[in-house]
Amino acid sequence: MKLFLTILICRFLRFIGKLMGKGSSLPGKIALKLCPDILDRVKLPEYIIAVTGSNGKTSTVEMIAHILTENGKSVAWNKEGSNQIEGVTTLILANSTLSGRVRNDILLIESDERFARYTFKHITPTHYVITNLYRDQLTRNGHPEWVADAISDSIRDNTQLILNADDPLVSVFGKDRDNVIWFGADRLESDTEECTGMYDDGVYCPVCKKFMRYSSRHYAHIGHYKCTNCGYKRHDTDYTVTSVDLDKGLAVIDGKYDISLALKSLYNIYNILAAFTVASVVGIDKGKTAENLSNYVMKNGRVVNFTIGKRHGTLLTAKHENSISYDQSIKLAASEKSGCDVMFIVDAVSRKYFTSDVSWLWDINFDMLNCENVHKIILSGKYCNDLAVRFSYTDIPRDKIKIFEDIKKAYDFLNSDREEYIYTITCFSDKGKFLTLL
Amino acid sequence: MKLLHLYHDIMNLYGEYANISAMERILKKSGIECQTDKLSIGDNAELSEYDFIYIGSGTERNQKAVLEDFRKYTITLKSYIDSGKVILMTGNSFEMLGGRITDASGTEFEGIGIADFSVKEQNKKRNTSDAIFKADFSDKELVGFINKCSEIFGIDTPLFDVLMGLGNKVDDDKEGIRINNLFGTHLTGPILIKNPYFLEYIANLVAGKEKEISTKHLGFEKTGYEVTLNALCRAGAGAVPALSVRN
Repeated sequence: MKLFLTILICRFLRFIGKLMGKGSSLPGKIALKLCPDILDRVKLPEYIIAVTGSNGKTSTVEMIAHILTENGKSVAWNKEGSNQIEGVTTLILANSTLSGRVRNDILLIESDERFARYTFKHITPTHYVITNLYRDQLTRNGHPEWVADAISDSIRDNTQLILNADDPLVSVFGKDRDNVIWFGADRLESDTEECTGMYDDGVYCPVCKKFMRYSSRHYAHIGHYKCTNCGYKRHDTDYTVTSVDLDKGLAVIDGKYDISLALKSLYNIYNILAAFTVASVVGIDKGKTAENLSNYVMKNGRVVNFTIGKRHGTLLTAKHENSISYDQSIKLAASEKSGCDVMFIVDAVSRKYFTSDVSWLWDINFDMLNCENVHKIILSGKYCNDLAVRFSYTDIPRDKIKIFEDIKKAYDFLNSDREEYIYTITCFSDKGKFLTLL
Repeated sequence: MKLLHLYHDIMNLYGEYANISAMERILKKSGIECQTDKLSIGDNAELSEYDFIYIGSGTERNQKAVLEDFRKYTITLKSYIDSGKVILMTGNSFEMLGGRITDASGTEFEGIGIADFSVKEQNKKRNTSDAIFKADFSDKELVGFINKCSEIFGIDTPLFDVLMGLGNKVDDDKEGIRINNLFGTHLTGPILIKNPYFLEYIANLVAGKEKEISTKHLGFEKTGYEVTLNALCRAGAGAVPALSVRN
């Protein structure tokens, strides 16, 4: 009876919340108050797939949901990205019958990496994807090893892990487990021997802290590594990106499944590979999966095409406090052969938390913009002075850089008869301030 | 002059390499020739050759790996500090100077014993906070960020008064450590970029009385500092009485 009532109340609140356009964590929060063991009482479907990691969770989950739905599976997933235990509870109860049985074939959960240990105390995922561990929002996450320890607490013995073999810190979760599914990329044409970022989190082995060597780097600490001391090394992969041509926008998985890329970044290819892996594990035909993923344009609003006057542009949502996310967006802009202007906005550092910390700007490799393809660079927002200082430590010629604290003035500068394509790179916390000007 | 960025590749969590870049630039802009060496685990630095040493913060595990290597500098570092030369240690790097560090599992690691304090780590809660600190050597507060999981007990010569943020231990209104011209603080990130007046103060100590330090190039730095200080004061007003006078 308690179960029945709690589900009823949760669904009612969800309904009201949707009408009012409110977030999805409150109904779950109330449900957990009314019935603290509610998640232990509901009957969950055969597949419970969880996804966590620093970057790419939302995109990976969206693509998995897309493939599964296209292939006739019924999927319950946290579309709105409420990824802590309250949001997950709302998700589950909103998709349950009143007797407490989740109606879908598959429960797909994007989980916050630090709070997964609370969520998965009650729910045991059948499969658990860990995408990567980067320096991300250090003002609340501490550092990647701190997050790794938190994720470690969330892993249950009877869960099958699906791990990024190219990330040494993520791969530690698979040590001494025998049923791990590994995904990763073969040596790619775009690989480098040395780390090209501002810092290298792959210098020391995550297991013994002695030197690691890379035979190939895809980006940052992601690549083919081996410890010179304890022998810890990249695991062979079960699902593999075998070649990538970013100019043509083509990635090939397992040597035969071609995927045309809507977003031409390596970073996006890892999300695609993770989604491909999950779909295969669930039993979807690989050819069909490749078709579903080809040219798939994310609906989560992280890439928005726009026009300013006669000029065309793309807004790339990078995450503030996340240098790898910025590096990937910068790399994409710098590869624009027809020439482009690039705009950065840092106005509010964080959406959820107050912080004035801009240390992360120093971890971003802005020097990639020092190339012929990039014409003007526009720095904007409350923290434009910090951006200006950061750029003064790059080799980019000063006359390429324009600084406008007022985002509207930056917009007016772009609204000119210049012909270059525009890339606006900013965060969820600031993108609205730009989009409302359009 | 010679600058040393020690453990540059392992104690560098929050863009902290920029601290050494800021020092190098201000000296050069002041007409002082300088070069920076980047050394790490396994290298043997001749500390007495240097005029400024910087060590940044690392993960708890990286700090322990570094501590084993750092031990070899106990005697040379002591004479470096006694001679009045300048060293800046940010984040958990300065914790290595004490008597011992106890990690979350209860394992004890012996520090190098230049100071008498002890450190206790936990792994339940990351203690993070924006920060405003006051130093007795400057009328300009310092701004920055704290990101730690430890408490430090027994520091007799703290570096800062805490106006906003976290002290050496819970409910402590003192932060960091100062011994001669050794500056240790849990303010992490490029604090010499973010605090141009602190940079000026430290650079003066490095350059010595004969040389004059130029700060003309620090325009954006100073404006950026004011923006952050004002934002933090607004955010902290009410909770921190000492700050509300600024509003």
